[in-house]
Amino acid sequence: MFALLEDAGFKRIRSTVVPGFAFRKDSTRDAAEEYGVKAVLFTARKPGA
Amino acid sequence: MTRNAVLQADEQAPLEGVIKGEVLRMYQEVAEHPEGEFHFYHGRQAAEMFGYEREWLDRAPPAAVASFAGVGNPHLRSRLQQGETVLDLGSGAGLDSIVAAWQVGPAGRVIGVDLNPTMCLKAQANATASGVHLDCQEGRMEDIPLPDASADVVISNGVINLSFRKRRVIREVFRVLKPGGRISITDIVSAKQLSQSIVNDAKLWAS
Repeated sequence: MFALLEDAGFKRIRSTVVPGFAFRKDSTRDAAEEYGVKAVLFTARKPGA
Repeated sequence: MTRNAVLQADEQAPLEGVIKGEVLRMYQEVAEHPEGEFHFYHGRQAAEMFGYEREWLDRAPPAAVASFAGVGNPHLRSRLQQGETVLDLGSGAGLDSIVAAWQVGPAGRVIGVDLNPTMCLKAQANATASGVHLDCQEGRMEDIPLPDASADVVISNGVINLSFRKRRVIREVFRVLKPGGRISITDIVSAKQLSQSIVNDAKLWAS
């Protein structure tokens, strides 16, 4: 996502992992852990003005 | 685009259609049967987990809170100001739009965009019950139904990861923002490339 924002032209890109995010079901949670799945808050600004 | 890329896109087109159908079904289910069990936490429990102010959750219509299916709290960093125009991409049952509308006030404007027209109607009804106006438009995030440079802020919560065409979504977000406009987006990311079996599983993708 960070790279996509950068490629689109966004500046001042910041990301913070969302604390406490988890999937509810064990099976999904296990798969998510395996793939390093996280919820992230992204902020960024479009240049100009 | 290479021949292989064209072939891959052609092969993915039917899967994209299946996933779109599953996404519509999943989130309509959350809206209509919020008492059900899903892969993700939802409703008030999830909103409290992500730091939504209790006052917001008490003040918003119960239907909007119960159907909340976000993955974080975009309001933590949105810094919305009175009079701003906000786009809520994938507005669902409307909780984030309502919170945004309270912050931008009557001089501001909140526009929701959702793939599902039924969800737009629900979100608008929830907004009206909250004493705010929401202009919700049916549309795809890959083709946002707004003119260039029309929003001061884009918020979104757990939606962009559902798209097969994330690069296009981000370009669309950039297009509809005014110069100097900003985003506050919470979403799901993975550190590793997902296996093809996960990509091909519409239920997992939609969750």
